[in-house]
Amino acid sequence: MDPTTAMYVAQGIHGLAYGMMLFLVASGLTLIFGMMGILNIAHTAFFMLSAYFCYQVVAMTGSFWLALLIAPVATALVGIIVERYFLRKVHAAGLLSELTLTIGVMFVIMELVKVFWGTENLTVTVPPLLQGLINVGGLEYSIYRLFIIAMSFVVLIFLAFILFKTRLGMVVRAAVSDADMVNVLGINVPFLFMGVFGVGTWLAGLAGVAIAPILTVFPGLADQMGMDAFIVVIVGGFGSLGGALLVSLISGFLSSYGVQFISQLAPVLMFIFMAIVLIIKPVGFFGERE
Amino acid sequence: MMNRYLKWIVWIVIVASLVLCPIFCGMYFTNVVVTFAIFALFAVSYNLLLGFVGLFSFGHAMYFGAGAYATALALAHIEGCPLLLSLLIGILGSLALALLLIPIVARLSHSAFAMIHLAFSMLLYVLALKLRNITGGEDGIGGFPIPSLGIPGVFSLDMTDFTTFYYFAMIVIGISLWVAWFITKTPFGQVMVSIRENTMRVGYMGFKVTHSKAVAYALSACFAGIAGSIYALFNDLVSADCLHIGYSFAPILMTMVGGVGTFLGPIFGSAIFAVIEEITVRYTERVELVNGIILIVVIMYFPYGFMGMIGLIKRKILEKQLAAAAAEGRS
Repeated sequence: MDPTTAMYVAQGIHGLAYGMMLFLVASGLTLIFGMMGILNIAHTAFFMLSAYFCYQVVAMTGSFWLALLIAPVATALVGIIVERYFLRKVHAAGLLSELTLTIGVMFVIMELVKVFWGTENLTVTVPPLLQGLINVGGLEYSIYRLFIIAMSFVVLIFLAFILFKTRLGMVVRAAVSDADMVNVLGINVPFLFMGVFGVGTWLAGLAGVAIAPILTVFPGLADQMGMDAFIVVIVGGFGSLGGALLVSLISGFLSSYGVQFISQLAPVLMFIFMAIVLIIKPVGFFGERE
Repeated sequence: MMNRYLKWIVWIVIVASLVLCPIFCGMYFTNVVVTFAIFALFAVSYNLLLGFVGLFSFGHAMYFGAGAYATALALAHIEGCPLLLSLLIGILGSLALALLLIPIVARLSHSAFAMIHLAFSMLLYVLALKLRNITGGEDGIGGFPIPSLGIPGVFSLDMTDFTTFYYFAMIVIGISLWVAWFITKTPFGQVMVSIRENTMRVGYMGFKVTHSKAVAYALSACFAGIAGSIYALFNDLVSADCLHIGYSFAPILMTMVGGVGTFLGPIFGSAIFAVIEEITVRYTERVELVNGIILIVVIMYFPYGFMGMIGLIKRKILEKQLAAAAAEGRS
């Protein structure tokens, strides 16, 4: 392979890895929105919290694999507590209260993290199995990034299977389109909401663990990813999983190739893309409602 | 009758204490009051959107920042730019940005409206950081000359003196607040409230919903621009910080804590946060943690904020008076 193609492929892998991680965050956000109608501003705070949990577990046990298992679950538990004891209480007060409540939760999580872990950068090392580069067809790839892509694909397929092939998924999809009706049919919708919120934060947590070794763990960790995740949800259409996947990948490639070719404009490419899509179709690619 | 006298007394006390503030309170506290007033106006401008029209925005900082940057750029680049002209340029800067965005945002509502503002404000934040030759990047624009207010040759007031600037800022903000209050009392203000209550019905009654939203939006942007402009003059420095998301969340917090949908709510909210910040800064660096907890508690237990609480107390007193009057009547 000549160097130019190699460069394209390497940037493509970078974009794919970022896009898939973005999808993990955005899918949780869009699931929660689609079902509960809540734009969870605290979502990125959960993402960051999980990275700190990951650091803590690695520091205590020395095992990244254990962190990959424990940190997202712990994050999901925090998410479930927030849903059960805070969000559910203000659900009756309407959209505005729920939105501002998630802002408050975001402030509290972001500041508590600083109280417990300080503001300096914490590094997480990946296990030896995932370190280094792998040689495929004369090209060298980072094993860790390939691992992220593979893991995200597994999660994606698993999620799609549950949502579209099981009874549980059917109930969830029905609740997305009309929660009141599903409740009337005798399904415990508040419990379902709690579960979806848990799964959503678990997905954010998984992405948080995945990104911890790449970027190191610090309080501003969620800034870039959080912004991109919100854009993905807007542009993909609120509540649409397919839209989230498509726009996540576009976003990943835009950022990786954007840095390559027009590095000056790279940070704003995504915003320009969003503005164009929204001017043409205000509800996003696959959105049906605002 | 009693009530009316009481109202006058309260107003006189407020105005008198504001007038006497720089004389008795010293420089530090005077500057705290100016900051509070700037944020009060910013929160009121935000409440015009959120409380009256029912539009929830996550990016109101961009109008604050546009006003601040426009004023700062005018003063830094125009030789001998008068004070009021720089203020006007700040307002026009915000208005221009609003007019640019209105075609995109006026059709949206709810979450899409909120999120597109978040995205645009982040876009402006990134641009302010990247366009170094215009905005000065992270350093911002600082050290521009603050002109004196006056008629050349007749009189002139030095605005670098904190007392005169205090009076200037208070008068400008006071007039702006009065105009904002007046707008909410006009027929157009009623249309704004009805859009919040029932958008579809307003449309059926023959009002142009999108146009009304756009006008309210532009007005709100102008008031935020005034706040930003005063902020730039006050600090003699504008950095990308004032476009940051934290500045968009501040008016949301103030409006929610003060009482959404009431005119005085955001002003009280701004005062509450000013006091809390003054106190917490002395004990801890984590001011945001305190703010977040207050926000959560207010939303969960006092959904109508400070004004709602006052309303509740008023009703309790009224009930007691009524009960007393009824008991008297019976005896």
